[in-house]
Amino acid sequence: MSVAALHKVELKPKDYKSEVSVVWCPGCGYHGILNSIYRALSELGVDYANLMAISGIGCSSRTPYFIKSYKMHTLHGRAGPVATGAQLARPDLAVLVTGGDGDGFSIGGGHMPHMARKNVNMTYVLYDNGIYGLTKGQYSPTSRPELKAYTTPYGGPDEPMNPLLYMLTYGATYVAQGFAGKPQICAELIKGALEHKGFSYVNIFSQCPTFNNIDTVEYYRELVREVPADHDVSDLGAAMALARRDTEGHAPIGLLYKADRPTLDERLHKIVEKVGGHAGYDVNKIIDLARP
Amino acid sequence: MAKNDLIIRVAGEGGEGIISTGDFIAAACARAGLEVYTFKTFPAEIKGGYAMYQVRTSPERIYNQGDTFDVFCAFNGEAYEVNKHLLKPGTAFVYDYPGGDFEPEIPEGVHAYPIPMSKTAKEMKSYRSKNMVAMGALSALFNISEDTLKQVLSNKFKKKGEEILNFNLQAFEKGKELGLALQKQDPWRVADPTTPKDVIVISGNDAAGMGALLGGLEFFSAYPITPATEIAKYVATHLPKLGGTLIQAEDEIASIAQVLGASYAGKKSMTSTSGPGLALMSEMLGMASMSETPVMLVDVQRGGPSTGLPTKHEQSDLFLAIHGAHGDAPRIVLSVEDVKDCIDMTVDALNIAEEYQCPVLLLSDGSLAFSTQTIPRPNPADYTIVKRKKWDGEGTYKRYLITDDGISPMVDPGTPEGMHIATGLEHTETGAPSFKSEIHESMHDKRFNKIKPIVDRYKPVEVDGEGDAEVGIITWGSTIGVAREAVARLRAEGYKVKGFYPKLMWPMPVAQYEAFAATCKKILVPEVNYQGQLSHFIRAETSIKPIPFTICGGLPFTPIQMIDKVKEIL
Repeated sequence: MSVAALHKVELKPKDYKSEVSVVWCPGCGYHGILNSIYRALSELGVDYANLMAISGIGCSSRTPYFIKSYKMHTLHGRAGPVATGAQLARPDLAVLVTGGDGDGFSIGGGHMPHMARKNVNMTYVLYDNGIYGLTKGQYSPTSRPELKAYTTPYGGPDEPMNPLLYMLTYGATYVAQGFAGKPQICAELIKGALEHKGFSYVNIFSQCPTFNNIDTVEYYRELVREVPADHDVSDLGAAMALARRDTEGHAPIGLLYKADRPTLDERLHKIVEKVGGHAGYDVNKIIDLARP
Repeated sequence: MAKNDLIIRVAGEGGEGIISTGDFIAAACARAGLEVYTFKTFPAEIKGGYAMYQVRTSPERIYNQGDTFDVFCAFNGEAYEVNKHLLKPGTAFVYDYPGGDFEPEIPEGVHAYPIPMSKTAKEMKSYRSKNMVAMGALSALFNISEDTLKQVLSNKFKKKGEEILNFNLQAFEKGKELGLALQKQDPWRVADPTTPKDVIVISGNDAAGMGALLGGLEFFSAYPITPATEIAKYVATHLPKLGGTLIQAEDEIASIAQVLGASYAGKKSMTSTSGPGLALMSEMLGMASMSETPVMLVDVQRGGPSTGLPTKHEQSDLFLAIHGAHGDAPRIVLSVEDVKDCIDMTVDALNIAEEYQCPVLLLSDGSLAFSTQTIPRPNPADYTIVKRKKWDGEGTYKRYLITDDGISPMVDPGTPEGMHIATGLEHTETGAPSFKSEIHESMHDKRFNKIKPIVDRYKPVEVDGEGDAEVGIITWGSTIGVAREAVARLRAEGYKVKGFYPKLMWPMPVAQYEAFAATCKKILVPEVNYQGQLSHFIRAETSIKPIPFTICGGLPFTPIQMIDKVKEIL
């Protein structure tokens, strides 16, 4: 996010809570993720008036309602490009996108590569519960193979995708994974993502106690392993190897990759500089180019 | 048709300089103080294919591409084949012979001027000079100002060096000699140069780009699509000079989404597209309606549906523009008549989006996109830049505050105490989600009522003619320019005919339609689409019973088509 938006104020995590009551089911992992976001914002001293929280559609996309900030609740799958426009319009502000695995990788899948490769300076926290919750339990792009769900009574026919590999492949400059059951780690990863200059992606595993009784808290506890202390976060190959999971199928949690690359708004600013652009430029000069 | 009104058509293989030949002739005529209206068709092929460029020029104002050409210049056999049915008695026909790839039959009464264009170019050891030879011959035969043509060529080629310029001028001279050597038999000549006017020559697409700059545009996101891409190219070239940027998104859904995001963040924002892109954007237009976010888009219509006739002219997106979204999603739709409108109404559309906080769609079309026209040079001081109504900072901020005019003040992110949500969910005044029936109904009232005043505030619909008429022509888009000439010619013949030329397509200025129709016995609605889309809205919204007159062959109407139709229904 924009460095300009950091360390402006001293606020407690609860100060970032909006007046809107959280609507998620009891036992949902999203409560923990939301608390991690409050904590990260507090630790970074982000002025809530300088934050734009933007989402699409889904359970997790309700998040902006619960954060005190400027915010947009947009269309299914479109939070990313809406946020890109907002970020480019106001590169001095912080932009946080929240959404789910269906919103981000199914309907919104066409936008994900471009936010990553263009290095849009914003943070995308993806709540990955492997299920569509808001529409009552259909299988998603990250559902385990053969998951029996609402529209897959005989088991889903698809292979799940790997969000981390996807993001690493397309050039995200901060790629991390957390688990809602470990809020301390989540808060650290989100904090790091918000501090990062460039497109930062945090995938957070979460249980859906209402519509997914297989991928439970216990399941995730067994699944995840912290990224080894000696992992080199600048090594893309090593990050990809971790993302592909180890021989026992454990999923890494922690920071996998971090790189420094010019952001889209920086590159656009360079174009303006290159042509000597400024608000006072005489538009008559442009009009006169059309004289015969 | 005025005596000095001349139409020259040049056609041949794409890539052999057809387009630049037309551009040079148009610019030379404009420099000579004449009016110009050009019309082109491009091949959909990536390279090669049939290309045509037509220049209509006159000392008087020109409103359309004309009925047909007076002078035809064929660069190859295909161009001849495509156009030979149009070689009527009296037409002048210049063609590549001998040494070209064809030997035409000259119809009775056609004035033939064989010019060995390819052969001469070959002798000069440069195939690329073929069009210069043709231009030299056309200049000599039809009085195209040699002085201004040479000025235009100098401007174009001086960047490439003296040698290239001189080579092209030599080829031009050779063509001129070839032309002078032939016996002039026809009456066709471009009007003599007159005092140059303060004009620019610009295409509809470039003009929309210029309008964006003059309208205070700050953010533009686009995705490539024929025939709209030149708007993005123009803005990409010039907006950075003014400190703004254009970005190319991954698809049209993303481009309109970025526009919505940038607009929420306080910037005057727009995109441009054609029908297929507009279809993809329609969900986000609903979001803009619901969240009351100003967004502006230009739709340069082309032949559809699906990939359709991607390089051809059509006016068939009116249904989509007015109603394209789920639910009841109010928006304002404008349409341009000519290149001047492309500038002025792009400014209007940007301003209206800011003022009414809703989607505004500006419809252009394939024939205007590439048509270059002489228009008075715009003066930036003549344009007003309207910005959205802003919150005054008093009291508690409510994004969707119910106000007398339905317009709720906006606030830019970063403003302390102005925090709020822009949402696609139905909401209360504060933006809190609410699915209560009274909220949905009252918010619909707000969103629909706030745009109603545009009907009276926007410039009144132009009525062409006075008193009672046998036939009233109602039409829209670039077809208006054809109607203007048809109405003038019919009146000159003694027919009682009037025209009605709306630019605000939605909401419809119903009272003005009714008042016009009350003075006409019959209402004819010509438009370039299959279903008669404007006729449909007229039937739905007014008491008028229009006679639809539709064509959709990928080409605009000609004045004579419209004249014949009026005579038929009288």
